[in-house]
Amino acid sequence: MPARKNAPLERTPRLSDQLAAARGEYSAEIRAGQGGHLAVAKYARRIDDLIRDVIHAAQGPPVAPFAVSALGGYGRRTLCLHSDIDLLVVFDGAIGPPEERVVKAVLHPLWDLGFTVGHQVMELTDIAHLDDDNPEFLLALLDARLLAGEPSIFKTIRRQLPRPGRERARWLLDQLRALVERRHAEYNHTLYQLEPDVKDAPGALRDVAAIHWISVLIGEGRRIGAGQFDERRLHDAENFLLRIRSVLHLERGRNVNVLSHPLQEIVAEVLGFPGTEPHQRVERFMGEYFRHARTVSRVLEGSIEASRGAPPSTPPLPLWDNLEMAADGIRFVDRTRAAGDPGSWLLAFQTALERGCRVSDQALARIHRSLDRVTEADFVATAAERRIVGGLLRPRPGLYARLSQMHDCGLLGRVFPEFERVHCRVIRDFYHKYTVDEHTLLTLRNLELLLEPAGVTRTRFTGLLQELHAPELLSLALLLHDVGKWKDEEHAAESVRMAEPVLTRLELPAEARATVRFLIEHHLEMSRVAFRRDSEDPEIVRRFASLVGTEERLKMLCLMTLVDVEAVGPNTLTPWKEELLWRLYVDTYNHLTHAYADELIVRDQPELAVLLAGRPNDISEPELLEFVGGLPQRYLSMFDYRHIRLARHIQPDHVHSVLEQKNEVWELTVVALDKPFLFSNISGVLSYFGMDILRGQAMTTPAGLVLDVFQFTDREGFLQHNRDAASEMSRVLEDVVGGSADLTTLLRGKQRSLVYRRPRQTAPVVHFDSEHSRKYTVLELIADDVPGLLYRVSRAISQHGCDVDLVLISTEGHRAIDVFHVTRGKVKLSAAEQRDLKQGLEAVLEEGYETH
Amino acid sequence: MRLIKAIVRPNKVEDVRDALGKLNISGMTVTEVRGHGRQKGHAAIYRGKEYSVNLLPKMQIEVVVPDPVVDEVIQAIIGAARTGEIGDGRVFVLPVEHGYNIRTGEKDIV
Repeated sequence: MPARKNAPLERTPRLSDQLAAARGEYSAEIRAGQGGHLAVAKYARRIDDLIRDVIHAAQGPPVAPFAVSALGGYGRRTLCLHSDIDLLVVFDGAIGPPEERVVKAVLHPLWDLGFTVGHQVMELTDIAHLDDDNPEFLLALLDARLLAGEPSIFKTIRRQLPRPGRERARWLLDQLRALVERRHAEYNHTLYQLEPDVKDAPGALRDVAAIHWISVLIGEGRRIGAGQFDERRLHDAENFLLRIRSVLHLERGRNVNVLSHPLQEIVAEVLGFPGTEPHQRVERFMGEYFRHARTVSRVLEGSIEASRGAPPSTPPLPLWDNLEMAADGIRFVDRTRAAGDPGSWLLAFQTALERGCRVSDQALARIHRSLDRVTEADFVATAAERRIVGGLLRPRPGLYARLSQMHDCGLLGRVFPEFERVHCRVIRDFYHKYTVDEHTLLTLRNLELLLEPAGVTRTRFTGLLQELHAPELLSLALLLHDVGKWKDEEHAAESVRMAEPVLTRLELPAEARATVRFLIEHHLEMSRVAFRRDSEDPEIVRRFASLVGTEERLKMLCLMTLVDVEAVGPNTLTPWKEELLWRLYVDTYNHLTHAYADELIVRDQPELAVLLAGRPNDISEPELLEFVGGLPQRYLSMFDYRHIRLARHIQPDHVHSVLEQKNEVWELTVVALDKPFLFSNISGVLSYFGMDILRGQAMTTPAGLVLDVFQFTDREGFLQHNRDAASEMSRVLEDVVGGSADLTTLLRGKQRSLVYRRPRQTAPVVHFDSEHSRKYTVLELIADDVPGLLYRVSRAISQHGCDVDLVLISTEGHRAIDVFHVTRGKVKLSAAEQRDLKQGLEAVLEEGYETH
Repeated sequence: MRLIKAIVRPNKVEDVRDALGKLNISGMTVTEVRGHGRQKGHAAIYRGKEYSVNLLPKMQIEVVVPDPVVDEVIQAIIGAARTGEIGDGRVFVLPVEHGYNIRTGEKDIV
């Protein structure tokens, strides 16, 4: 490059030598793995000398007095090999041609040397009116350090900086918080990046700078807000990050800050991490990286909290047991006692979730120090403790933040040692951006975010989450879905194997265990079908529907797929994929609810072989085969050997039933021979006794045997408060079905009651489908769930001369969603019949609501 | 040189890639796109309510090939992506003046 007019030829070689010497010295330190604080500060001092020489050489004809200051990272003397050099040149007077000559004489040699110089040139009077639209510059100015020139000018600059406690400092803190938020958003708010940017990622060097700036702007003279903050740990973290960044700059010969997979191998070796294979060194190195990044993140979190201003000084609020709520979160009243009481640790997190606050650093430190005393069994010794562990995972605001706290302090890994196996586990592929443990926690965060969906298209998935009967099972499956990745083999089967001890420890009911196993085993299946198969092919949908079996599992798998894909990386879940996933959900849902009547149990299907093999002695093979013959395959998911016993010796007008309590829900199983109004009479009896029907299925065999299973809640406490309630219900059922009691008369008083009238929330939908099922017209009905609805609707269907052969009943929030498979005279309904029935049903649906 | 742009069903991308691989064509760009041709979307019904799916998810495959193999490549794509149903997609062929390798700066000879 030709010499510039203002850069004396004779100086340039000397500057080059100076720079080469400084870089040579620094590079030697880097190669020795010592490119941390001391090395970068020493290098910064060498560059100071070089720039002072350049400034000295730039002196010529008289100019206004001026000062040159180092800003930002250079001002803090954390200058890496190819960092930008940020300079501020301020003249105490107007800037004219002579002053411009000086500026050029300073900048041109630096450019010629290959520096990237960020420079600001201004008059001293401008300093008092700095633009508020450039908060980054104001923050860099906080680190200003005089390099050369008039000290009085530098003092004037310093006096113009925002003072702690003043309005301008508060404004700059707001700007700083916003900058941090925006930067973190680019990294999906997680430090667990597989290829982190050691400058900009959460937990990296720019966060260290943010902590420093907050400290300056708060003016405490020390870092505050992080509770039991360990200054040494933050210093170590910054030193570690600088050592990494130094290697990256040396290796790539430019300002590269992304710690890519190939560079991880190089850095791990330079920094001396042990291991015979590169991947072993990388695992240890990245584990250390995440440990330091967590320290930075935690301190920044505390600093940001402190920067918002101290909350009003109120004494801690005593809570139950050994817990209190203070300004910094849930604390232990008696730390010594807490150390030996692992149940109180989980209670602290449960309380924090319920109260929408964090767990304090005091409690986290106590838990962390006491972990060695306990095993996973200590957290689930009693039923109450098992409920707490299971309940902790329920999707709700704050779940990700609290689970992250649990994970950082080691508690999550102690409660679920299976999850600890993937702690900071790195899987290299083209898609994943985060470590396996963080990916897993992000799936739970995405589930939590569905509670407040960001867009209209996401609202439809929110609806599915709200409809789940046991969303904590989905959370549990998500927590465990990738634990098998600790091995380098196919992970889904290994995850299922590892989940087994968890299911045993939590003593979950068999059905819940089966659901969690199913979700883990098939967590990749829905994305495979939605994105890589022709989901418009009915056969593909049929097979997928057959795999999931029920609407509840379909919803869970759909949500699991959504949040899992989204947690792979910031842009992995495109609107395109979201649409494909939703379409597969809808098609499968429609198949499960509309077309299942066409798929009948056949003798050679594997599920039937399992039932035959496990049958009790009192049930013969022909009896079992005769009972299930002609029923939809879907029935196998609810099969119970007791159904066969109930069907024995059944006579016309007789009812055989079993009533039992399952947790907070009651279940009534009824077997009878088919007759008109049978289904409406049974559901009407439940209404008569004040039961709220939640879910249910009704099926009819070709031989006319009806099997109905209803799940309901005992709204008025009839079953709970009356010893003979079950037999009374059975008696009324017999009377109504046998015709000796008139249900209409029994219910008349109830339906007039105000209790039975509620304001309407959603407009009812009555929809007929004659395409999905070969034999039936499918009637889908969605309406506000009011007492007696099922009775009145099914009665209206019977009054129109229709036969109800199959029914799926579900209640989702305040809505009843019922699907009836109906015929009239053994054939599907004609268009005119559908119109008539629709009018009749709409009239029925008008009843039971307040009219104003 | 020609730029061949194929809009295919999402599940047919692997088949098309395999078919092109047999012709020793390995470089391609695949993009998620949405649109419709004569298929014009369809109405889906969920819980009795209709929602229209106007823009259907498709995949766009772009590949630049030398003139002599254009017809062979087109036939390979059509053969792999066809189901015979409406919605199988489209193939477009566009002229390409030049291509450059960004790493080396060399003018591409495809």
